[in-house]
Amino acid sequence: MKKRLVSTLLAVMVSASMLSGCGSATKQASSKTVTGAKAEHVNITFWHGMGGNLGVSLNKLVKDFNDSQKNITVTAQFQGDYDAALNKLKSSQLSNSGPDVMQCYDIGTRYMIDSKAIVPVQNFIDKEKYNISILEPNLLAYYTVDKKLNSMPFNSSTPILYYNKTAFKAAGLDPNTPPKTLTEVETMAKKLLKKDVSGKVTQYGYAMPIYAWFFEQFMIKQGKDYANNGNGRTEAATTVEYNKNGGGLTLLNEWKKLVDSGNVGNFGRKTEDTQNSFMAGNTAMYLDSTASLSSVLTGVDKKFEVGTGFLPKVNSIDKGGVSIGGASLWIMDKKDEAKQQASWEFLKFMVSAKEQAYWNANTGYFPVNKQAYNLKEVKDNLVKYPQFQTAIDQLHASSPASKGALLGVFPEARAATETNIESMLGGKQTPQEALDNAAKIANSAIEKYNKTNK
Amino acid sequence: MENKKSNIMLLIANLVVGLLIISPILYALSVTFMTTDQIHTMPPKFLPKNFFLGNYKDVIAAVPIFRFIFNSFLVATVVTIGQIITSCLSAYAFAFYEFKGKKILFIIMIATIMVPGEAIIISNYLTISSLNLLDTYTGLILPYLTSAMGIFMMRQYFLTVPIELSEASIIDGCTGLQFLTKILMPISKPIIGSLGIYMFLLTWNQYMWPLLITSKPEMRTVQIGISMLKSAEVQSFGMMLAGIIIIIIPSIFIFIIGQKQLIDGMTSGSVKG
Amino acid sequence: MSEIISAKKEEINLDPKETRISVKRKLEPYAFLLPSLLLFGLFVYYPFFKTLYMSFSLTNAHGEFQEFIGIQNYVEIFTSTDFINSLVVTMQFVVITTIPSVVIGLVLALLANNKIKGIGISKVMFAVPIAVSSASASIIWGIIFHPSIGMLNNILKTSIGWLIDPHWALLSVAFVTIWMNVGVNFIFILAGLKNVPREILESSSIDGARYFRKLFKIIIPMISPTLFFMVFMDIMNAFQSFGQVNILTNGGPGNSTNVLVFSIYREAFFNGRFDTASAQSIILFIIMFVIAIFQFSYEKKGVHYS
Repeated sequence: MKKRLVSTLLAVMVSASMLSGCGSATKQASSKTVTGAKAEHVNITFWHGMGGNLGVSLNKLVKDFNDSQKNITVTAQFQGDYDAALNKLKSSQLSNSGPDVMQCYDIGTRYMIDSKAIVPVQNFIDKEKYNISILEPNLLAYYTVDKKLNSMPFNSSTPILYYNKTAFKAAGLDPNTPPKTLTEVETMAKKLLKKDVSGKVTQYGYAMPIYAWFFEQFMIKQGKDYANNGNGRTEAATTVEYNKNGGGLTLLNEWKKLVDSGNVGNFGRKTEDTQNSFMAGNTAMYLDSTASLSSVLTGVDKKFEVGTGFLPKVNSIDKGGVSIGGASLWIMDKKDEAKQQASWEFLKFMVSAKEQAYWNANTGYFPVNKQAYNLKEVKDNLVKYPQFQTAIDQLHASSPASKGALLGVFPEARAATETNIESMLGGKQTPQEALDNAAKIANSAIEKYNKTNK
Repeated sequence: MENKKSNIMLLIANLVVGLLIISPILYALSVTFMTTDQIHTMPPKFLPKNFFLGNYKDVIAAVPIFRFIFNSFLVATVVTIGQIITSCLSAYAFAFYEFKGKKILFIIMIATIMVPGEAIIISNYLTISSLNLLDTYTGLILPYLTSAMGIFMMRQYFLTVPIELSEASIIDGCTGLQFLTKILMPISKPIIGSLGIYMFLLTWNQYMWPLLITSKPEMRTVQIGISMLKSAEVQSFGMMLAGIIIIIIPSIFIFIIGQKQLIDGMTSGSVKG
Repeated sequence: MSEIISAKKEEINLDPKETRISVKRKLEPYAFLLPSLLLFGLFVYYPFFKTLYMSFSLTNAHGEFQEFIGIQNYVEIFTSTDFINSLVVTMQFVVITTIPSVVIGLVLALLANNKIKGIGISKVMFAVPIAVSSASASIIWGIIFHPSIGMLNNILKTSIGWLIDPHWALLSVAFVTIWMNVGVNFIFILAGLKNVPREILESSSIDGARYFRKLFKIIIPMISPTLFFMVFMDIMNAFQSFGQVNILTNGGPGNSTNVLVFSIYREAFFNGRFDTASAQSIILFIIMFVIAIFQFSYEKKGVHYS
C-alpha cells in the first residue's frame, strides 16, 4: 500500500513536470548563433519590474519589437517590483540563469557596474557609431561613468510639485503661480490650511512623503554633493557629505519647520499614501514623480483642477536642477555575442522615437528620445495634459551636471535617511543628529561594501 | 422555550461576529466596483455609485489570472496530499512506536519550524536551479511536501487515540501501515481535514518562493499575479482589489467544500467508542 | 518532555514466534520518518548549516563567501542598536498577537460549535481570514488604515496615522496579524472541540457562572492538546511574520515595526549583507528554540492527554 502511495506521488510529480515540459523546452531552444552564412534565430529574455498599467504598456512595446523583425524574439518577464527584481538577478547570477536584458532602477546603477556582469552599451555605440545625440543629455549623464554610457535610460522621471488649483483660488492665491521655494511653500500652506468645526484638519496646505529620493533631489537643487569623490562618480565614494556640507542641515531645518507649523501633513514614507491624500483633497500640494501624473489626473477626475510646478528650491539663491529617477535597461554579459547584439537591437528599438511616444503617452515617463516630441502622439498628449509640460521644462532647465550620486549601498543609505528623518519629525532628535546618525549607517555600509567588492 | 430563545440569540451573535470578521473583505469587494475618482475621495464611501466592472476587465487584460489560478490549484493540491501523507506517516511513528533516537528525531523535526524561511530561501533556489527544476511544477512543489507543523499536529491528535486500538489491530493481524491507513486516518478525518485545508490555503498564499523560482508568466501563481497589478510609481487600488477578490473566491470555495466534507463529516464520540 | 513522547505507547511485547515481524516492526518507524527526513535534509538542514557557516564569514554583495571572521558578525549585531531594537519589537509583537489570537479563536469555536440551523454560514465567515494571503490582507487593511481615505478613521472619526505614527504602527500590524490568525485558530480549536462529548457542551443553559466554571474546569483541559498546539504555532508564526510588515510599514516608522525576520530580509536582500543576515537568522532560530523548549516543559504540567 505504501509502495502504491509512493508511486502515485511520483507519477503525479512526473506528470506535473511533463505538463511544464513546454516550459523547459524553450530554454534549450535558445540557439548558439553560428557566425557566418546564416543568421539563426535568437531568443532573449528581458526581466522588468513594471506592473499594473505600466506592464501592459511595456508588453505592447515588446510585441512591437517582435513583430517588426524576424530574427530576434524577446520574452518579457515581470519579476516583482524593482527591489524584488534586483534580488532575483543577484540570485540568478550565482547559478547563471539570469536574463539577457535587465531593467534596473537608478539606485542600483553602481551595483550593476561593480558586478562586472554587464556589457556597457557604450561598446555598441562605439562599434556602430550610433548617434547618441538624439537622446536626452540629462538622462544619459546619469548613467555615464568614466565617459562610458553603461545602460540605456528607458523610463525616467523627475520630481515635481503637484498642487490643487481650485484650492489655490479658494484661498486667494494665484492658481498659475505655484511656490518656487520652500519658504513660499510655508507661506502658502498657511493660507491653504482648512479645518472643520471640530478643529480637525480637512485640508493641509502641503505634504511631503518621507522619501529619500526627494532628499537627494534637494541636495542637487542646492548644488551640494551627497557623497564624496565627485558624488561617487570620479571614483567610488568613501563617505557621505550631506551631513557635513550644510546642504542636509538647511533642508532638514526647513522640513522640520514645515511640519511643526501645523499646516503641513505627514503621511509617511510611501509616496502613494501622500498621493492618495492629495487626490482626496486632504492636502493642497505635494511632491511626487512625473510618472504619477496620469494616474493622479484619473484619480482626481473632475473634483478639482490639478497644476504642476518645478521642485521648489531650498534657498532662493539655489541654482541646481534636478536629477532623474526611474530605471534603465542593461545588457547582461552571458558570454554569448549573438545575444548581446540582439539585446542591443532591442534597446535601440525601445528608445526609438515612435516607441517612446507611445510609452510617454500611456505612462507619464519622459520620452528618452528628443525626436519623439515631434510626433503627433506626444503633441496630442501635451495638449491633453498641459501639466506635463512642467516636467519637460524642468528637465531642460537642468544642466547635465545636476546628476545624482552613485553608491553601491544606496538602498541602505536611503533607508537610514528616511528612518532618521522620521524620528526627527517625531521630535526624537535634532536635524543635525538625524543627519549624523544616517551618515554613520551609510558610511559603515559604504566601508563594508568597498572592502568586500573590489 | 428557554432553549429556542437562547438558540436564536446564539445564532444572532454568530452572524454579527461573522460579519465583523469578513467586513474588510466586503469593503474591498465594494471598492472593486468603484472608479478611481470614487476611491480617492474624502470621506471614503462605503458603497459604489453603480457596478463598475472596469477594474475586473483590467485585471483579466493585464495578467493571465486564470492560468495562475490553475497553477496555484495544481501546486496546492499536490502539496496538500504530500503533506498529509508525510505528516501522518511521521506522526504515526512518533505517537505509536518506541524506538531509538525518537526524542532526538522529534526535536530536530520540530526544529525546522524555527528556521527562518528568508534565511534558507536562496539556498533552496540554488538547489532547485541545479536540479534544473526552475520554472517547473516540481520545483514549486518539492520543498513543501512535508511540514513540521503537520507532523506536530497529527502527532498531538494521534496521542489522544487510545493505545488499545492499535494493540487490538495487531492481534487482528494488521500491519502497522494497515492500522494507519485503515483505522487511524479515517477516524482522524476532522484533523486531517483541517490540516489539509490549512496547507492548501498556505500554499495558495505563497509569494516569495514562486516568485523566485518561476519567471515565465505561464508558470506563475496567484499571489504573484496580485503583485503584477501593482506598479512602482503608480497605484491602481481598484484593479489590485479586483485581483485580490478574484483569487479569494476559489480559496473560500475550497474551504466551504473541505469544511463540509471533512470536518462536519465526523460526529464526535466515535473515538471513545 | 520524554514522559509525553513515550506517553502510554509502550513497546508491544511479541513472543519469539513473531521475531520476524518484530524486526520489521522495529524498522517501521524509521521507514515512516524517512520521506520527511529526506525532504527536511535537503531543504532545511542543508541550507541551515550553510547559513550557520555564513554567519561566521564575510560575504560580498552577491552572497559569496570571502573569508572567515569568527564571531565578528555576532559582535557587530549585538552592539547595534537597530538589532537590539528588533529583538525588543519582536518580543512585543509575539506577545500582543498570540494571546488575542488564541482567545478569540477559542471564543469563535465555542460560538460556532452549536447545532443550530444556519450556523454553517458563520463557520465559513469565521474562517475567511485563512483564505486571504498575508499580502492581500495587508493591501486591504493598508487601504482601511489610510489616514485620509481610510475607512477606519472615517468610522471612528479620528485622524490617526495607524501605520505612520510610531505609537500605533506596531499595534496596527499586530491587529492585522491577529485578524489573519483567528481563522486558523478557529478551525483547529473547532476540530479539537469535536472530541468534547456533546452532553458536556450542552449540559447547562446560558448561565454565566456555571458556564465559565465548566469552561475552565472541563472544556479547556479537554482541548488542551489543541490549545497547546495553537499557542505554539501562533508564537512560531509571529516570529516569522514577514508579509504584513513588508507591505504595511516596511519596518517603520522609525523601526518601530522592524521585527527580526524583517530585519533579516532587509539585511540580506536590500543591504546585500548575507553574512550579518545569517548571524541574525541564527540568533532568531536560537530564540525560537529556547521558547519552544519552555513551552514543551509546560506541556508536561498543563496539557492533558486522554
